[in-house]
Amino acid sequence: MTQAKVAIFCGKGGVGKTTLSLALGLRLAGQGRRVLVVSSHPLAELAIAVSLDGLATHYPVAARNLFVVHIDPKELLKEVVERNFPVEWVARAVLNSSIYQNLIEVAPGLKEFYFLARLQALAERSAEGAPSYEALLWDAPATGHFLSTLGAARNFETFLTGPLAAAGGELRRFYSSMADIAVFPTTTLEEMAIEETWELCDKLAAGYQLRPRAVVANLISPLALAPEQEWAKLPARGEGALGFALDRGALERERIAELKRRLGGPLVGVERIRHYRNDLDALHQIGEALGGLPGWL
Amino acid sequence: MKITVYLGTGGVGKTSVAAAGALAQARAGHKALVLTIDPALRLRTALRLREGILEQPVDLDPPAAGELWAALLDVRATLDEAVHLYAPAALVQPILRHPIYATIADSLVGMQELMAVERIDQLARRGFENIVVDTAPSRHALEFLDKPMFFADLVNSNWVRLVGRTYKFVAGSGLANLGRKSIDFYRRVESILGANLVRQVLDFYSIFVSIAEGYAARAEKTVALLKDPAVTEFRIVTTPQKAQRDAHYFVHALEQRRFRVGGLLVNRVWDLPAEGIEAPGLAGEALEWYRAVSRAHRQALEAVQREFGGRLGDIRALPELARDIDGMGALERIAPLVSL
Repeated sequence: MTQAKVAIFCGKGGVGKTTLSLALGLRLAGQGRRVLVVSSHPLAELAIAVSLDGLATHYPVAARNLFVVHIDPKELLKEVVERNFPVEWVARAVLNSSIYQNLIEVAPGLKEFYFLARLQALAERSAEGAPSYEALLWDAPATGHFLSTLGAARNFETFLTGPLAAAGGELRRFYSSMADIAVFPTTTLEEMAIEETWELCDKLAAGYQLRPRAVVANLISPLALAPEQEWAKLPARGEGALGFALDRGALERERIAELKRRLGGPLVGVERIRHYRNDLDALHQIGEALGGLPGWL
Repeated sequence: MKITVYLGTGGVGKTSVAAAGALAQARAGHKALVLTIDPALRLRTALRLREGILEQPVDLDPPAAGELWAALLDVRATLDEAVHLYAPAALVQPILRHPIYATIADSLVGMQELMAVERIDQLARRGFENIVVDTAPSRHALEFLDKPMFFADLVNSNWVRLVGRTYKFVAGSGLANLGRKSIDFYRRVESILGANLVRQVLDFYSIFVSIAEGYAARAEKTVALLKDPAVTEFRIVTTPQKAQRDAHYFVHALEQRRFRVGGLLVNRVWDLPAEGIEAPGLAGEALEWYRAVSRAHRQALEAVQREFGGRLGDIRALPELARDIDGMGALERIAPLVSL
């Protein structure tokens, strides 16, 4: 059995987790690696947000190797029921019963628990009939929901006893294994996104012994990472557009310096792209800008 | 009374826009309050928000004709307060100490939405004329509207009424008058989900139900206010890149639920630069980058105006500030642009 390398893009809503996951997926799949992107968005919703039209024509290698799924915990629970009740009408009766439907809505963490278990299974899945992946990219939900998803495993272990508690412990250990899981907290250089990144890093370290493989600073300006001697040559201020670009550059440089100081680990910058023909072209450019993430795959 | 709800996906600057909207109403002479979910540090400081604290007046310089208040939606504190207020005295401690209660504020999906509705009800009763609501950042922002009704239905469902009796049955205190079919299903569900979990949940709900019923009644009232076009309007906050897709999604979803859509605010639009400015080297590259992005913003804005201009009378562009929009100074700058 092969274990896929797992990368998790997490962080505040709107920082570009989905875009980065797809962009990295496209890049790796284009190199001939089988990649699975697990998106927190239902596929119908994702299709509204990002169009992959033309993938097979423009990136045939990637088209063969890139897989995108959304895991709906309700569907997983349905599978569990169907496995437990091989007689179809009995299974259907259970699924339709209001007891079942209400219980799965209100049981805290139950859906998250089954989600984590499926994600682990996908990372470990053998070649038996189903594809096994070299890389699994989890486009995680926004920070709060991401942490409560991881927390579901811990809560099950802490508050309950019996088989689900044991399974919870096993999941928690899986999601604390730094060897196979690389966490990439993602942020823009806005105050709030950065604050949330630190909160996230602290909670991952405290609750799961997970440290970020690298922090990704997304949507930065060309001035943010320019070498110091180049930056020193620029005028201190300017009019209109130049003034805006310089002000923003200065702010971004302060924040990058602060991020690096506090992080004590690698930081990857991804520039806001300028021109693109369509979504696929944008993803391709972002994938190139993202480059190889340090020490991963 | 007037309620303005700001909806949008994550990272569009909804919190600042909502705060600026409340500020504009205070400056227009109203007693306005912004109920916010998760403000950035400087905005939090400017609005004097602290966790566990109920609403606070905000000092304005110069003073406003009306009043600006701010409140943080603290899910745990709101839930605790509801338990103290509405649970029978003997049940308060058993609820607060229950292991399921410890996880419920974090892990029950939609808890934030449930508590937002609870807070709107509290605030309306405390006499605020203008309530501005900043919703949780989510594509599923409309859970804010759907969850409370789901919960109300749930609480009023036979299932919850069943809980108390079922639990007694499980606890071995004699057979309740459940139908044989119900018992059978219950056992099957228990065998799948884990007996322990099911019992914990049932145990919890059997004592929590006293609060839940009161909550359901209040939620129904509040949702009726939100549906009343004379009281509530929904404003969609987006950014240039997301404008078209967000407009499609939210306008459709709101109209489907028969809520009043007040307008679309396109935030963080970069101003078109004056042409003709040139600069050498890195500065030139920064300029070129700025121009390309701001041109794309302008095109996106025009596209959304073309498509939705007729349906949504009110489409506005709010400028990106080179420094982040936070602190009172920045709010004062955008308040006139957000003003109703």
